[in-house]
Amino acid sequence: MKTGILMRAALAAAILTGGAGAATTTGEGAGPRAVVEQVSSQVLDVLGRKDLNSEQKRKKVEEIVYAYTDFDVLTRLVLAQNYKKFSDAQLAAFTNEFKRHLSVTYGRNVESYHNEKVQTIGDHEEARGDWTVNTKILRGGGNEDVLVDYRLRKSGDQWKVIDMIIERVSLVSNFRSQFQDMLASGTPDQLIRLLHEKNEKGEPLKANGKA
Amino acid sequence: MGGRIRTIALTVGCMLLVACSTVQHPSGDPWEGANRKIFWFNDEVDVHVLEPVAKGWRWALPEMVRTGFTNFFQNLGTPVVAVNQLLQGKPLQGASDTGRFLVNTIVGLGFIDPASQWGLKRHDEDFGQTLAVWGVPGGPYLVIPLLGPSNARDLTGLVVDTAMSITPFFVDGWILTTARVVQTVNARSGVIDRVREVKAASLDYYSAVRNGYQQRRAAAIRDDLDVTPATEENELYYPGEELKPQ
Repeated sequence: MKTGILMRAALAAAILTGGAGAATTTGEGAGPRAVVEQVSSQVLDVLGRKDLNSEQKRKKVEEIVYAYTDFDVLTRLVLAQNYKKFSDAQLAAFTNEFKRHLSVTYGRNVESYHNEKVQTIGDHEEARGDWTVNTKILRGGGNEDVLVDYRLRKSGDQWKVIDMIIERVSLVSNFRSQFQDMLASGTPDQLIRLLHEKNEKGEPLKANGKA
Repeated sequence: MGGRIRTIALTVGCMLLVACSTVQHPSGDPWEGANRKIFWFNDEVDVHVLEPVAKGWRWALPEMVRTGFTNFFQNLGTPVVAVNQLLQGKPLQGASDTGRFLVNTIVGLGFIDPASQWGLKRHDEDFGQTLAVWGVPGGPYLVIPLLGPSNARDLTGLVVDTAMSITPFFVDGWILTTARVVQTVNARSGVIDRVREVKAASLDYYSAVRNGYQQRRAAAIRDDLDVTPATEENELYYPGEELKPQ
């Protein structure tokens, strides 16, 4: 019952989706582990800079994260069977709002950075050539570490992140189950509108999902 | 005596829940309507009572004290963890947790956790996981009033674990009740930011919590063996392109 550790999932998520980036281009054909290490070190660099304010940091982390995330695959995976119900225009709108949703919710965590370090603790190949890279966010000061795994898939000659598993909870699976519930009784347009409204507010809708 | 009969009755009742619900439901949640009502009731209690109290608790007590309480209650639960290790056929881990209990009780008086420094890692086991190891399926997802997410199997486990746990008969009931309240508030105070984060990040908070519970339980059951079951693995491929079940 006491799951304890998740707390800093926030930060982990900031690292994947948050804000800013001195996006240096990766070497072509870098392996999945190298990609994760590059992203982490670039993001930590930005978070540690004293000459940037939170908004600037968020922007930069966002650039880095966007460069290494495959949002087309992500959209297909989170929508699953419902993907077919979306027109091309709806898909584009959905992807755009979903991206923003991740930035808005996780980008706030740029402010709660307290010198955490990231350590890569392993990597292995999955069925069909995907790759999982296991990392640990070291929080120091007696705080429990946070386990974050990244799943990468090759797109062209570049490895891109398609899922993030924070303390054993996969974001793809979690969003997929939410969207399934919402699309069972609602339409794609309603879902896009809800995402949009939530993004505009920049914070959780009080009664969302209440049924 | 009466307590034991109640426990047995509850256990049987819970097992029946598992048994009569073998019909597969996509999200494992055939009673979603009722569950959602209880979920939002729990949320009201949390928002209006538990979270504010937990915030006060976090504000009033230094981190060291709060960690002390966490250790204390975790330590009290360790014998049950050890028993479950044995029931799952993991005698070495059971021995390690027994060692933890002795070290932390004698050296740490329950409030500090020297065992972790000595390499005796904390394990997370309960009777729900034991049942899973024995092959009992989770059964329908349940939201329990005031307790939160569970399923038929894990609720059965909770009843059995509670019956097994140390509740000294010579301690007054009001002390036990107070301890339970302190445990709850203290545990809640440790996840204030996290709960806020999940609420902010989710579009359907109910589904997000249900899915999170299911994923975390699945991981606890397989003890992080780095094996992803085919069903979960399949969520990472497009519909129609899934892997065959193993």
